[in-house]
Amino acid sequence: MKERAPIVFIVDDDEAVRASLRLLLKSVGIAATALGSAHEFLANHDASQPGCLLLDIRMPGMSGLELQQALNLRGAIIPVIFITGHGDVPMAVEAMKHGAFDFLQKPFRDQELLDRVQLALTKDKENRVALSQHSKIRAHLESLTPREREVLDLMTRGKPNKVMAADLGISQRTVEIHRARVMEKMEASSLAQAVRMMMDLNATVAADR
Amino acid sequence: MDYLHASADTGECVAPLTVLRKVRSLDGHRLRDTFLMWSSELQALMDAAVDAVILIDDRGRIGGVNLSARRLFGFSVDELLGKNVSMLMPEPYRSSHDSYLARYADTGIPHIIGVGREVEAQRKDGSIFPAFLSVGPVPGADPPRFIGFVRDVTVQHVAAAAIERERDKERRSQERMLHVSRMATLGEMAAGIAHEINQPLTAITNFAHASDRLLASEEPDVAEVRSALREIGGQALRAGEIIRKLRRLVGQQETQRAVTHINEVVEELGVLTQADARHNNTRLRVELAPRLPQVNIDRIQIQQVLLNLWRNAIEALTDISRGAREVALTTKPGPDGDVEICICDNGDGVAALHADRIFDPFYTTKRSGTGLGLAISRSIVQAHGGSVGYRPNHPTGACFYVQLPSIEATHL
Repeated sequence: MKERAPIVFIVDDDEAVRASLRLLLKSVGIAATALGSAHEFLANHDASQPGCLLLDIRMPGMSGLELQQALNLRGAIIPVIFITGHGDVPMAVEAMKHGAFDFLQKPFRDQELLDRVQLALTKDKENRVALSQHSKIRAHLESLTPREREVLDLMTRGKPNKVMAADLGISQRTVEIHRARVMEKMEASSLAQAVRMMMDLNATVAADR
Repeated sequence: MDYLHASADTGECVAPLTVLRKVRSLDGHRLRDTFLMWSSELQALMDAAVDAVILIDDRGRIGGVNLSARRLFGFSVDELLGKNVSMLMPEPYRSSHDSYLARYADTGIPHIIGVGREVEAQRKDGSIFPAFLSVGPVPGADPPRFIGFVRDVTVQHVAAAAIERERDKERRSQERMLHVSRMATLGEMAAGIAHEINQPLTAITNFAHASDRLLASEEPDVAEVRSALREIGGQALRAGEIIRKLRRLVGQQETQRAVTHINEVVEELGVLTQADARHNNTRLRVELAPRLPQVNIDRIQIQQVLLNLWRNAIEALTDISRGAREVALTTKPGPDGDVEICICDNGDGVAALHADRIFDPFYTTKRSGTGLGLAISRSIVQAHGGSVGYRPNHPTGACFYVQLPSIEATHL
């Protein structure tokens, strides 16, 4: 599948501010889409579109913080950079607690903004790669039979075939056949890789909680 | 007895004409007895009077005085009789008094006679005191004679001055309170104002940086850079406009009433309310009724009242979810030709328990309130002949209204 170009979404109720942000990003060759309200963004949000979100923390109607919470509820992974005014530090702290990528106090230097946007886009890319790997691993896991799943669990805990055979009450030969099927289905070339896959997956599950 | 002295000294009869008429119809010693009787009765009457009574002739010479006059001015009878009455006045009246008499003699137009007015009088010791003087001509006297009543109004003056001082103190203290309340409100709104000015500055900065980068590219898009430069100019003007509006709102110091359209007063507050609304994630709805009658108000004071009510509305919304906050600012015709301004929020409203007392001084339902905002607001509006009140908003929230008499209603 061909990788889609990232887009920076700008959500600010001030027309001049969002137009200026769009032009600034355009001047360094970053595609940006500017929107006037949080609702507008939510209504058109495509979770599969890579990019990041430049979000004004204070807006009439749905505020930036509320949009962030709505995105979190949807399980969206888009990195959010908040744009705040003076004295908005408590709100910025709240935003960071809820998983914001970063925040910028306006007015800000262009390089500051561009650096953070680049970092956010890199982070988004990593997130998406990790996510697609996880979904691949999950799909592999789901293709395993219950018996193969048991074999995988014991394998990753470092049990030798002989112990597994005894534990499961089957022959060592049958264990070997299951083992080969598991490695094939998981697309793992070594036991070490299979272990890492399971650890990654468990780490994400833990982080999600 | 002073009247007799007067008669004896000057050889003139100074008794009122009514007495003389009686006397003329009599003869011999009966005439003298009757004259004496009338004179002494008259003298007793005069001496019983609280006011000083002074009789003068057409040239201002004192023909008679009563007891109160002697006491009031500190002169004895001998020191007064036959002297010019101007001795009882300080300058410049002293020098002018003869000309007043001459003018009356020439023109016959009275300036003080029958009217009475407040003048300055001078005692023997030189001290000057405020006095109320009424003068009447002696009917039929030729050459004319005048009788003057002088009342010392020092006590009234002292009392009036004390009342004025009290009023002045009250006014100054109210002005101070108004000032403090104004500063407090502006302080609360400062963050919003700063934010409002920050917006165009942010846009300007971004446009400038973007232009710089665009121009640095190999084939710069000149049209795009030009459009950015135009934006920079426009945003700089926008920042200036915000500051100009703020100055107009905050800079005014002198307080005076003028005939005004209430909608203009509300619109002028827009620079503050819009910033504050934005800062507090609140939707602001403004509905101004067209063709409202004008009001005669102190713009600054009424704006302070509206800002107080506005801040209350904003604070009432802090516990409401950000997306749902709304304040409506409306003007409309009120009862009896009044003009009504309403500030309604969709918060939790005022509990019935507090509703009766929220306008009392030092009564507050806020954690850090002074309890003065609504009390000051009410006293300002009442001084304008209007009223301020609370009613629940529908379906939820508080609605504070200010009713001001229109100039049409005032003239009825």
